[in-house]
Amino acid sequence: MTLLPLLPTVLFEKLANTLLKKDAQSPERLRRLAGKRIRLKLKELPFTTTVSVDDAGIYISTADSDDVDCCISTELGVLPELQDTANLTRLIKADQLDIDGDPMLAQQLVGLFKSLDVDWEGELANTLGDAPAHWLMTLWRKSRSHVEKRLEESKRWFKGVVTDEKQLLPTREEFNEFKDNMQQLRAKVERLQRQFGERKS
Amino acid sequence: MNDRKDDSIDFGYQKVARSEKKSLVANVFQSVAAKYDVMNDLMSFGIHRLWKRYTIDCSGVRKGMKVLDIAGGTGDLTAQFSRRVGPEGEVVLADINDAMLKVGRDKLRDRGVVGNVRYVQADAEELPFDDNSFDIITIAFGLRNVTDKDKALRSMLRVLKPGGRLLILEFSKPVSATLNQAYDFYSFNILPKMGQVVANDADSYQYLAESIRMHPDQETLKSMMETAGYEKVDYQNMTGGVVALHRGYKF
Ligand SMILES: C[S@@+](CC[C@H](N)C(=O)[O-])C[C@H]1O[C@@H](n2cnc3c(N)ncnc32)[C@H](O)[C@@H]1O
Repeated sequence: MTLLPLLPTVLFEKLANTLLKKDAQSPERLRRLAGKRIRLKLKELPFTTTVSVDDAGIYISTADSDDVDCCISTELGVLPELQDTANLTRLIKADQLDIDGDPMLAQQLVGLFKSLDVDWEGELANTLGDAPAHWLMTLWRKSRSHVEKRLEESKRWFKGVVTDEKQLLPTREEFNEFKDNMQQLRAKVERLQRQFGERKS
Repeated sequence: MNDRKDDSIDFGYQKVARSEKKSLVANVFQSVAAKYDVMNDLMSFGIHRLWKRYTIDCSGVRKGMKVLDIAGGTGDLTAQFSRRVGPEGEVVLADINDAMLKVGRDKLRDRGVVGNVRYVQADAEELPFDDNSFDIITIAFGLRNVTDKDKALRSMLRVLKPGGRLLILEFSKPVSATLNQAYDFYSFNILPKMGQVVANDADSYQYLAESIRMHPDQETLKSMMETAGYEKVDYQNMTGGVVALHRGYKF
């Protein structure tokens, strides 16, 4: 159990630091956070995760029990909600979140990665060559815009459903159609039952 | 201390004169130095990297600290410590064997690990450092090769700062009988053959397997540390106890 969480942690740390290195702004941003330590305790996981920042990058440890500047205890499902500061008080009151120490620190840490300015196509071209990189990026952009469009559509649909409460109730015609369908279905079932009975005898 | 009745000691499964063990161990590492890193990856399927990384994670290392990596060999731990203590800190890579030390120095230089690392040829039993001079001491896969382990534990305690910690990463006793059997088979049948093929040196790897079996188990090493004067001693098994990480503090 001690080693199991280590591999993903080490890989994630490597990825994070590789990304940080690609942005010329990172050293400046890292310097502002250097020396800070944040711990994340997730109810679902049997170990805690500690992130330490220094001016060269971040370190992630699952075996660190020394003091930290900020300790966040929460559940996996709550994580996405933490993005919005407006949710924090509500989550704390609901016992779904506990923050010990400087709450801004976690947001600053996430900010480190959110504000990354990386030329992905250039990076990919370096490792894969120009043509495949261009093809991959086009594919990525297409799927992104596709996903975004679908997301937008479903949002609009959902909005329509919930804001217009009456829509939640079926209209007269809808109800009549439903009734007709039900009658047809019942007739079908009875017919089947009869046929089944005849065959048995 | 020196006038023991039985003046022989284990070298793997053999008994040798106490005075002889050091040079025999030296021969082993002299002969494996060049292929040491390759063999480590092969023998442990690369898992030794995780054992070492876990050791770093448990060390509590911070910017500006002074770290001693004794029996440091080819410097895997030193490289990671060097990055973490930064230019204000210092890491001393110490080993009794200059061939291992040289491989370590060349490797770290090639990797750009320079500036805050010092290389010292030293015997863990008689460390040539001032009292209270290190925040962290690590000895990874080294203690089992040391002739007088109690003496080495005391010597390390002396140079540790109050509040500092010692971490011992070493092969230990697998907790399950099945694993133990599989591990025995692996160490005595496969390991020396791998040593023969890759490093053209079956004897040294036979010695490694034997020395692992002769090394004190988890609880014994823990009580040895306590006897030497370490406090809050604990240990954690890794890979089913094939390896254990012992930790103790000086207060
Ligand atoms: C198996 S290697 C470990 C190297 C490194 N720490 C690692 O984990 O890869 C053991 C090392 O212990 C060194 N050694 C053996 N006896 C020693 C002693 N009495 N004092 C210091 N180093 C010693 C050997 O020279 C050798 O380099």
